[in-house]
Amino acid sequence: MNTALQIYSMGDHCHQLDDSLPDIKELTQQVTGKSFRRIGRFIQLAMIGATRCTNLSVPADTAVYLASGRGDLETTLDIMKELFAHGQTPKPLAFVNTVSNAACFYVAQLLKLQSRSNYVCNRYFAFESALQLAATDLLMNTASSALIGSIDVVTHPLDEHRQRLQLAKNIHLAEGTHWLWIGKPDAARPRLGEVIAVEHFADRDALFAWSDLHAAANTAVSRGQFVNDGEWNALTSRIAHSAIFDYRADRGYYDSQSGAAIGEFLRSDCKADVLLHINADADGQYSAMLVSR
Amino acid sequence: MHACYFLGSGLHTSLGADVSSQLAALQLPPSAPQTITVDYAGKQQTLPYKMLVNNSSADAGQRLNSVIDTVINTAMASARLHAQERQAMGLFLGTSSFDISISEQEYRQDLMHDTQAIAMKTFSSQGILGDHIRHRHGLRGPLFSFNTACTASANALMYADAMIRSGRLQHALVLGIELCNSITALGFHGLQLLTSNTMKPFDKARNGLVLGEGCSALVLGNRKSSQYTWQLRGSANICDTHSVSATNPDGSVVRQVIHDALQSARLTADDIGAIKVHGTASLLNDEAEAAGMKRVFATMPPLTAIKPFIGHTLGACGLNELLLFCAAADQGFLIATPGIGNNHDTNGDSALGISLNQCMCELPPGNFLMNYFGFGGNNTALIVSNLRD
Repeated sequence: MNTALQIYSMGDHCHQLDDSLPDIKELTQQVTGKSFRRIGRFIQLAMIGATRCTNLSVPADTAVYLASGRGDLETTLDIMKELFAHGQTPKPLAFVNTVSNAACFYVAQLLKLQSRSNYVCNRYFAFESALQLAATDLLMNTASSALIGSIDVVTHPLDEHRQRLQLAKNIHLAEGTHWLWIGKPDAARPRLGEVIAVEHFADRDALFAWSDLHAAANTAVSRGQFVNDGEWNALTSRIAHSAIFDYRADRGYYDSQSGAAIGEFLRSDCKADVLLHINADADGQYSAMLVSR
Repeated sequence: MHACYFLGSGLHTSLGADVSSQLAALQLPPSAPQTITVDYAGKQQTLPYKMLVNNSSADAGQRLNSVIDTVINTAMASARLHAQERQAMGLFLGTSSFDISISEQEYRQDLMHDTQAIAMKTFSSQGILGDHIRHRHGLRGPLFSFNTACTASANALMYADAMIRSGRLQHALVLGIELCNSITALGFHGLQLLTSNTMKPFDKARNGLVLGEGCSALVLGNRKSSQYTWQLRGSANICDTHSVSATNPDGSVVRQVIHDALQSARLTADDIGAIKVHGTASLLNDEAEAAGMKRVFATMPPLTAIKPFIGHTLGACGLNELLLFCAAADQGFLIATPGIGNNHDTNGDSALGISLNQCMCELPPGNFLMNYFGFGGNNTALIVSNLRD
């Protein structure tokens, strides 16, 4: 989908974890200027990221699109453990918050939004999925601007979390949330960059055919977290690019990192004008996001 | 802008596993729910439920797969797509429970042997179910798994339609799925939203909802079908920030979402031939829905409620109820709930000032409004049409 959508602002939060989970309640209060009761890490991260992206100031008709690889795993796990291991039935508000779109509600309430909201889950292409929905609404004129975010949380204890995610014991973990506020080109608004395209491909050949038309000499490429070494070598030897952009560095593991690639590129001093971010799933399908600045 | 049409469907609810048995059941008064027993940590709770017919497998994974596969295969067979069209289609999944029934069963069994067992050790991503379905059915288009509570499959349909109309996709498979699980059943019980009797939306005796199982699939495409005349004519979604668990009872957001859907369909209130209400039979939600509809419709079109028949199928209700409505309309009738929500008699809630359709009446082709409201403030209105172009 060729979009040509302007990126007005961005915001994120990511923290690395060693052997414990930091309390982010205070950080949430510090960032948003408000205190919230009985909300978990998933919703807290949503509010931190959305506030940093918008500075609490976006038009009321801005739509919210939230994505995650795992959803509000913390709340769901708490309920499941309490129920089956301890015989405690779900507490009403915790149960309501198991619908991950509850985070959209709190973001919309915080920012005083009165537009559409949606939550989608995707194991491999979380941020990309939300961006595609937003781009569709913007192109079909069913939203005037879009706030797009991804979130993935870690649950306690960390070793159990690694086991659940089938990660090796030595893998570092992190929590992250990444947000963009985008819309149609508007000279009156800040312009950090542009989303040129967001695409899904059934296989590698389809990706190559598309990249032949879109990747140029001034394009940096970034590697999605689910692209393995062999695959990455094959992609970079075939797709035209001027540089490899590394947004991951020592970033710990969480599912939805693609939003970080865009954010890091926009704030980096990378000489390329355009970023092509490529991700893959376990079934040989691909996604690509093309962003300029 | 491209066109988008319904090409084929499949549906399995507590009324039956095929269209004819479900249509037959819709011509009788709604039946009372059965009861199920939920076991947890040595305790038991008996709850009302509308369970799927003809799906009694004890294995949660097998049960989930078999109902999904059958419904998808039925929809695909009626849509008659070529292999390449099928492979390229997008999958738009709407559910609130995903595969949680499998995780519950696995954790229960593990706890019998190990009190420190790890919960959700196999399925910890809501995205796994969609990947699994795509793999089983050879789909290689994009996947969108919507989890917006009771609006999930309605939103899935809305975006599948938009992506076809925008030219991004040629075909899409929309799937709604909701199967019984302990967390949902006990969660609604804890919220004191369940009744043990037949659901009675907009009735003065309304006292809650009955949960239901259901699975439905709809194939959409950019070419007309000789078999189907239906299409999504308009839609809207609004986040209501009044409360995370209830729509604003003054009806202002319900009014707005219906108004926006009419505008997107380029229709006026007078063009709506009938309304499929959300109708959860809870005090506040019915109040909000009635207030919102009265703000839009000076003359109220006939109203029909489907939850008394199949229960509240949560994330799948968007597609389940739409397909049942369409199936009845194809037979020329509007579904009736005799004795439920009748303000012309004595059992309706006169304060709400609206009545549900009381007897099966003829329903000519037209434009029809479908209301859906969910936790997390997610409100969606769809307008479907079976008018020939």
